[in-house]
Amino acid sequence: MMSTRTNQKVNQTAQFSILSEDQKQRIFEGMIATLRDTGVHLHHEKARELLKENGAIVDGVSVRIPQNLVLDALATVPPVTVVQSWDGTRKTLIEKNQVLFGPGPTPPNFTDPHTLERRKYVRADAAMVARICEALPNIGFVQSLGTISDVTVSLADVYEFAEMVQNTTKPILSWSYTRDTCSDIHRIAVAMAGGEDAFKQCPNYVFYGEPISPLLSDFHAMDKAMYCAEHGIPQVYTPCCIGGATVPATHAGQLVCALSESMLGVVVAQLINPGTCVIMGGVQSIMDMQYSVYAYGAPELSLLSAALTEMARYVGLPMFSTAGCTDTKILDPQGAIEAATSVHSAMLSGANFIHDVGYFESGMTGSVLQLVMADEQIGMSHVVARGIEINEETLAIEEICSAGPGGNYFDSEHTKKFTASLWQPTLMDRQSYENWASQGKKTMKDRVIEKTRDIIANFEGPIAKVPQDTKKEIEDILQAAEIREAKKAEAENK
Amino acid sequence: MLEKTMLIKMNQQAYGTTRFQILTEDQIQQIYFAALDVLEISGARIFHENALQLFTQSDAVVSDSNRIRIPTAMVEQAIGSCPSKSNLTGRNGRRSIKLQKNEVAFGSGADASFVYDRKSGERRKAALADVEAAAKIVDYLPRLDFCMSHGLVSDAPNAKTYDRHQFLAMVENCTKPLVVTSVDANGLKDQWEMACLIRGGEKEFRLSPLFATFIRSDSPLTINNETADKLLFATEKSIPVVYTPCSIMGVSAPASIAGVLVQTLADALFTVVLCCLKKPGMPLLLGGIQSVCAHDKETVSYGSPELHLTSAAMTEIYKWLGLLSSSPGGCSDAKVVDEQAASESVMSIYNNLMAGTNLIHQVGCLEGGLTGSLSSLVMCDEIIGMVRQIAKGIHVTDDTLALDILKGVGPGGEFLSHDHTFDHWKEWFRPTIIDRSNFEIWSNAGSKTYNDRLEPEVDRILESHAPEPLDENIVQEMKKIINLADNKEV
Repeated sequence: MMSTRTNQKVNQTAQFSILSEDQKQRIFEGMIATLRDTGVHLHHEKARELLKENGAIVDGVSVRIPQNLVLDALATVPPVTVVQSWDGTRKTLIEKNQVLFGPGPTPPNFTDPHTLERRKYVRADAAMVARICEALPNIGFVQSLGTISDVTVSLADVYEFAEMVQNTTKPILSWSYTRDTCSDIHRIAVAMAGGEDAFKQCPNYVFYGEPISPLLSDFHAMDKAMYCAEHGIPQVYTPCCIGGATVPATHAGQLVCALSESMLGVVVAQLINPGTCVIMGGVQSIMDMQYSVYAYGAPELSLLSAALTEMARYVGLPMFSTAGCTDTKILDPQGAIEAATSVHSAMLSGANFIHDVGYFESGMTGSVLQLVMADEQIGMSHVVARGIEINEETLAIEEICSAGPGGNYFDSEHTKKFTASLWQPTLMDRQSYENWASQGKKTMKDRVIEKTRDIIANFEGPIAKVPQDTKKEIEDILQAAEIREAKKAEAENK
Repeated sequence: MLEKTMLIKMNQQAYGTTRFQILTEDQIQQIYFAALDVLEISGARIFHENALQLFTQSDAVVSDSNRIRIPTAMVEQAIGSCPSKSNLTGRNGRRSIKLQKNEVAFGSGADASFVYDRKSGERRKAALADVEAAAKIVDYLPRLDFCMSHGLVSDAPNAKTYDRHQFLAMVENCTKPLVVTSVDANGLKDQWEMACLIRGGEKEFRLSPLFATFIRSDSPLTINNETADKLLFATEKSIPVVYTPCSIMGVSAPASIAGVLVQTLADALFTVVLCCLKKPGMPLLLGGIQSVCAHDKETVSYGSPELHLTSAAMTEIYKWLGLLSSSPGGCSDAKVVDEQAASESVMSIYNNLMAGTNLIHQVGCLEGGLTGSLSSLVMCDEIIGMVRQIAKGIHVTDDTLALDILKGVGPGGEFLSHDHTFDHWKEWFRPTIIDRSNFEIWSNAGSKTYNDRLEPEVDRILESHAPEPLDENIVQEMKKIINLADNKEV
């Protein structure tokens, strides 16, 4: 039968929404009012001058920003930014509703994947985390899951980047202590790209910077943001807002704060370099009032992050969101519950960079085990989130009618074709009890540990592709940085 | 101080809850029309004599002695006859479930052959004591709304009457409404009589049913005699039915998700028509378990994302048709309460709750529905709480925007000591077994895992919770009905 259908509206993916247009507008207006009336504290003289020249009201460290400055900045942010891997094999798009998951930066502790003990994070871990991220199909970008403890303290950020960038082709979201180390990292990235021109054509990493909540930017946060804007490095400028502690306990108030805090970075970056990529968002959760802990597993994190993602889309900025993290101290069902909940929420929300996958203990410990488990959860979540394709072939009316009531679909061409597109688990066990028991009654935790160790032992990653010259260049950059930091330390001692 | 004039904000629309939608109305319609095509072209089979007679006397075409093809007008009339709302009400009348669009209820389930023995750590056959223990836990847990039999009891005095014993075990230990399975129409009749005793009459039961009966069908578009018997009896007495067509993608249903939805809907609509022919106005909860099977082809997956997707989509379709829905949730393919059980339970609870499924059964099931776990029940209660918190959405008002408060506190300030925080933090989710303490507190308390904390909580509930007792006279009357059945069915 010929069919001519008209006026069809189709959900190509699931649709998920927390805020109505009117609610979004009220939060947007709240941000405008906050920047105009309450303003921010900005501990960076040059940035204050720049804002003053452009119409902001500056009084000491206080800066109040008129709405036209905000609107002008939002008018110049890019709709699409492309990040390309140093080997040219992988392109990452930063654009509306393009979702990537990845770990987070800087926990002081690390769960050793062999002893399963909590210990300090060391240099070799950075390379290992990058390789594991490279191996996992549902992880789209890389952060370190730790702060290196066994190198010159003020260069932990640079060593981390140097280790990671050679072990992954997925985009790294790097961080740094100061403009100096920010520049070291940038030089390594340029070396990997094969020169300034190549980097300018297409950046190969994203920088992550963090103002302080509520409404405060310290000197280094703003200094690094300005460096990135000057050099055309895509950057994240996002706070960690703690509901009930650094921002109001009500979610709407928290969203206003979070949006205002990122917006300062957007305004400054666009004044310096109109069209440079700035990503908003951050960790959004509440203070657990029983333990005074920033709750990384709270459902409020999922709700706030998804709502802030909608605000990001509303203002036309990419979103740095949070999921896959937990308050548990060890791989257990709590970690699975909290990660699955936030992963699915973040997936449905459509955020761009969803970070902190693999955080234990409210961000105090990084765990590749949690990361490997979450990779599977992301896969499951995507099956639901991508929705249902509906057309004559998938509706299968002919198939159903020819099979008839109680009919059999085994081995038909239609079945063969569509069975191939079903999701295949790698860590979820669907065997019969007998088969499961005969294989040693392994729990998912056992399988996660096995898979993680297998990746560590057998997956090499792209390091062999890094040219010798580039390796030498990176060594030189590290050495120069060591000399500089030694001089700084000497000067301070005097 | 500035004088404030009256603030008037107009034309405001807010989301009262988080919104979630897999299919558009156009897509739902396409699936619906395809299901109507299937009922017209291919039809369904029924063997039951009275049921066949109902179809023969209708506008349906009966061929091959038992194949029924149904014109669309008949289907739509039947859909129109279903009530848009109903309810289930627990034995003391105080705990009830609203069955109406976008109201969600969770409950235990269902008839698992085995249970996970918490003492031995082994799987064993389910016994009456397990059903009693689960009912007690469901009675206690704040986020479970109904009780369905945790296990298929293996130690009932008579294998043909175990359903009556399960009913008594549940109703004695749980004041929430029940969802029951029945061996056959006689079993259903006995259960209904027991419920009428509690409710105080047949009409009273009709007004506020104590239970719904769960009917599972494993052969798509085919209704066997036992199912037809139960459906016809339930329709006569207005006992709500949870009708659950089950199919495995690529085995008893198409392997494409849209195809499974079409077949499941056609199957469900066939039942709607049958019930309407018997007597219009039947409260039917339409569900389904549509999933994939494992590689070894021995097990149906209760944890697959395809199951969660089809469940949510079926709910959307039933909602659009003005019908009531049910789906499995809080279940897993894991054999023990581990990270897999946690992940899969979250996914099924999340998607069903967001979709607005009326009755979400199977909470506490492991191993693809074959093993019941009391620990999983307690774990899922907490998961439901978390997902509900997300589903609540965000309120945007002057008070919650807190602009004046933010201005007062100012950049670099703190909110911990502010009255506004004190007034609002209690709106947040508060965990029960989930632990947010820091590493030091946690390790000083013995470095306990989630499971280490979960088990004592299950013990605590079992030891300390005493459900409100059921009137002893009524229990005696119920036991008479059961004894009669036990003796008759020898």
